[in-house]
Amino acid sequence: MSVRTVDVGHSAAGRPARRHLPRYALERRVLPYIFISPFFILFAVFSLFPLVQALYYSTMKWTGGSDMTFIGLRNYINLFDDPVFIQAVSNTTYYAIGAVFVIQPIALMLALVVNSQLVRLKSFFRVGVILPNLTSSVAAAIMFMLMFDHSYGLFNQGLLALGLPPAKWLDQDLVKFSVLLVAAWRYVGINMLYWLAGLQSIPGEVYEAAAVDGANSWTQFWHITLPLLRPVGLFVLVITIIGTFQLFAEPSVLAGGGPKNASLTIAMYIYRAGFQFSRMGYASAMGYVLAAMIFALSLAQVRLFGSRADGK
Amino acid sequence: MKTIRALQSTALYLILSVVLLVLAIPFLWMVSASFKEQFEIFRSPPTILPPKPILTNYTTLFGEYNFIRHFLNSVQIAVITTVSQLFLCSLAGYAFAKYEFRLKNVLFLVMLGSMMIPGYTYFVPLFQLVINLGLVDTRIGIVLPHLVGAFGIFFMRQHMESVPDELLDAGRIDGTSEFAAFWKIALPLVRPGLTVLALLAFLGSWNDYVWPLIIIRTREMQTLPVMLAGMVGIYRIEYGALMAGAFLSALPVLLLFGSMQRYFVAGIMEGALRG
Repeated sequence: MSVRTVDVGHSAAGRPARRHLPRYALERRVLPYIFISPFFILFAVFSLFPLVQALYYSTMKWTGGSDMTFIGLRNYINLFDDPVFIQAVSNTTYYAIGAVFVIQPIALMLALVVNSQLVRLKSFFRVGVILPNLTSSVAAAIMFMLMFDHSYGLFNQGLLALGLPPAKWLDQDLVKFSVLLVAAWRYVGINMLYWLAGLQSIPGEVYEAAAVDGANSWTQFWHITLPLLRPVGLFVLVITIIGTFQLFAEPSVLAGGGPKNASLTIAMYIYRAGFQFSRMGYASAMGYVLAAMIFALSLAQVRLFGSRADGK
Repeated sequence: MKTIRALQSTALYLILSVVLLVLAIPFLWMVSASFKEQFEIFRSPPTILPPKPILTNYTTLFGEYNFIRHFLNSVQIAVITTVSQLFLCSLAGYAFAKYEFRLKNVLFLVMLGSMMIPGYTYFVPLFQLVINLGLVDTRIGIVLPHLVGAFGIFFMRQHMESVPDELLDAGRIDGTSEFAAFWKIALPLVRPGLTVLALLAFLGSWNDYVWPLIIIRTREMQTLPVMLAGMVGIYRIEYGALMAGAFLSALPVLLLFGSMQRYFVAGIMEGALRG
């Protein structure tokens, strides 16, 4: 080893200077590309290439066989005349609104509670709430299926005990709400952790200064906590939208998308069109509409909430 | 003043206990049902614990439903995915953190942007591709698109940035090759990050449903989520066996999590701030 150190230059401070390491120059120029190449090769082959193909398919009428006919934008136009697609979009929007305006506020409130100086055992609660997120969405749906049973499920037994009439949890009127309950169970905890991380990153001095100025806890929350939570809030919102717009397993296992498509999501409809009804072109067009929706919503959120977060 | 604080803190603990209980009920109810007979599961009023615990549901699960087979499928796929992600993500993360190269920032942004693309947009042609490669209904087909992931690279880059350059340079002076600097110097220093990524990769693979559902054709190849969802589709649902299966499918990740929860919670929270 000592032989090699001789021909390597040292800077005055005794630390190696990188530009004096010529034998490594070529290696160092090429290696990083080799190190990152597995991702870019797999990405190109298994995402980018099929993505371009999907765009091509989306302009075709194609049922999987050899007869593929170009129909231009017909698939896209047909989508907006398809009542099932409209239904799937409206259902998916319901789930997204529920996730953003019901699940997230609960997660934030829980984070505030755990973050309170009055609460100890923080790590115990942090671990406890995250456990549902570890179970698969299929297993989660299965657990709730048992509890949603129309006659003797736990939910209806509870309603009966309270003297209320049993509800039909998986019927057309309630099924979306039931799916949302499963999602809430699985996702409240992990989102609480995200918010908690944001809360803990706010330095205590900010609050001390505010308290000196006589701000009460509500004003503090409104004028200090919420604005400083913007970066985490943006992160949480974007992943919530990306996640809910790809909701699949919960409504699929719980209700098969029904009854009468009442719980069907866009992701499920793409799967049906592409893999069950062999409408490959149609499914591809739907996929692009889904991607456009996710992209537009994420961009809108970055515009709305991201402006001040940049200057942190 | 003191009593107000005491009241407040009691209220907060009460809220948290109720939340934990509500979160625990579906799980406990599932475990309890897995030891009950069908009529007992839907008895009114419900019995919290099975009065006469039975193991029939488990024997049905292992016998009729061939649970072990599907369990091993899931284990194999999750282990291959995890090992591959650990190696390839930290390698790429190291490159992004520790080297300067042309197009680095552009490539990094492309990688981040790839996380926004929903798989549903290209599942149809991807499936065609897998057919053409002859990989339908194979483990390689299930695993291949997930061998390395953008999130993992992003995550490992954060951890690799904390590795001091001086240490790497010192190694280079001693004649360590560039790869050995990564493997012998950097990697051991980011063990906490690797632990979190291992759990995340394992979880992602273990719980994945849609891609295996698309690509698996035969019963023998089914992973646990696909098998469990299939049990629901049957005309008469055997709730007891179904709950036993759901319970046993959740058990490994819970045990795995239990052994590394400290790292994990901290890792998740860091991720939210850096994301």
